[in-house]
Amino acid sequence: MSETNRLKWVDACSLVARRELRAYFDSPIAYIYAAVFLALSGSAFMNAFFLEAIVDMSAWFERLPYLLIVFAPAMTMRSWAEEHAQGTIEVLLTLPLRVTHVIVGKYLAAVSFFAIVIAGSLPIVAMLLRLGPADVGTIVAGYLGALFLGAFFLAFGQFVSSLTHNQIVAFVLAALLASVFVFTGHHEVVEILDGLAPGWQLGSWLSGSVSVIPHYNSFVRGIVGFGPILYFVSMIGFFLWLTQIGLRRIRL
Amino acid sequence: MIRVEHVTRTYGQLVAVDDVSFSVDRNEIVGFVGPNGAGKSTMLKMLSTYLAPTRGTICIGESNVEQDPVAVREQIGYLPGDTPLYGDMVVGDWLRFVAGAHGLTDAAAETAVNTVVETCDVTPVLAKRIRECSTGFRQRVGLASALVHDPAVLLLDEPTHGFDPLQVMAFRDLLRQLKTDRAVLFSTHIIADVEAVSDRVLMIDNGRLLADGTVSELCAEAQLPETSLENLFAHLVATAGVDDV
Repeated sequence: MSETNRLKWVDACSLVARRELRAYFDSPIAYIYAAVFLALSGSAFMNAFFLEAIVDMSAWFERLPYLLIVFAPAMTMRSWAEEHAQGTIEVLLTLPLRVTHVIVGKYLAAVSFFAIVIAGSLPIVAMLLRLGPADVGTIVAGYLGALFLGAFFLAFGQFVSSLTHNQIVAFVLAALLASVFVFTGHHEVVEILDGLAPGWQLGSWLSGSVSVIPHYNSFVRGIVGFGPILYFVSMIGFFLWLTQIGLRRIRL
Repeated sequence: MIRVEHVTRTYGQLVAVDDVSFSVDRNEIVGFVGPNGAGKSTMLKMLSTYLAPTRGTICIGESNVEQDPVAVREQIGYLPGDTPLYGDMVVGDWLRFVAGAHGLTDAAAETAVNTVVETCDVTPVLAKRIRECSTGFRQRVGLASALVHDPAVLLLDEPTHGFDPLQVMAFRDLLRQLKTDRAVLFSTHIIADVEAVSDRVLMIDNGRLLADGTVSELCAEAQLPETSLENLFAHLVATAGVDDV
């Protein structure tokens, strides 16, 4: 019998993450996804730049949550649903890895892929820096917010994908959940909901306690605060924990 | 190496495995035989730690599947039924991934992959994506990934599924070689596979273990003249009160 060693936590997560990341790039869909995402997000900047003469990235960052309602679930829908449907989950979960290794590895791969895709927008930053003195601090904070936002959407997308064998169901449910997190922070939705029940201030309450938008907007304005970071980290942790609970139930 | 004591597994109201006990020792090949839906795959899923037993105890070596599932997984090589594999992966990459998951260093993994590629005869498809492989090659890739870390216990669920007659014969030879210093448990509903390679037979139907022993022992126990395993199985099912096999 050969001598095998139990993998350390980091090595085990990294092993899974590298396999998953390679799987993203092995598929032509990944390249189409990246191209469409960059074209749509870039168009927000171009419209503001050419039509309204706005020389910053605020329009790009402001459109991002709405694009991610569709794009984040498209990334995560196959994550676990495909493992269930093809039965590969049985192979994966009987390797000498813990469930948490596999969840974190898959999640890190998704976040890395997302980071690579949004890095495709860096030519816009280069252009702004060339045109004149840009507010680098706000841009960096915006990108940090974009990463947190994407990481949050990917966390609940993976959780939803772990619940079903059907990728379409995973996509639709994750997109619905993303819509709730985004639209509850949209000022018109807040006003409508507040108007429906003025005594309850439902819109304001949802915006303050459920929506991702106020936390994300803090980064977009250039403020890297402890509160928004805590919100994102705790929400990501919560959904990864839920994924683990869901997957452990397979054994029972 | 494998110890199963009074194990029961239920899915809601359905009892898939009912109070089953057996053991498999080192240097032993045991065939797990029964009709479709008898509970063979459920038993192997529990041995592999994929499913937890509802009641009872399962140990692989010194490790209990409930208390230390990772230690169990380190000792087993498992080929699930239908051989689920990542179709988008290249065969060589998949084998290296499994070797890496078992903690082999890059150099050790390369050596292990080379060895297992030769043993399972998957050289022709080593650089192909798994989805491009025929059913027989997929099965061999699955077997290679179960063997790549040289496990002490081999658990194979319907391992000859998809093989042509020549591949079946080659597989039986391979299995005989693999039993050295190992415990091998394989499930099948093909009686000829069991007769050809097993040292001992476990017969299961409707989740209950009907028999455990060599063919001669079981024939003597059933007071039957030395007969085929098929006849013996039919007799045991009938005496267990099951009408339809």
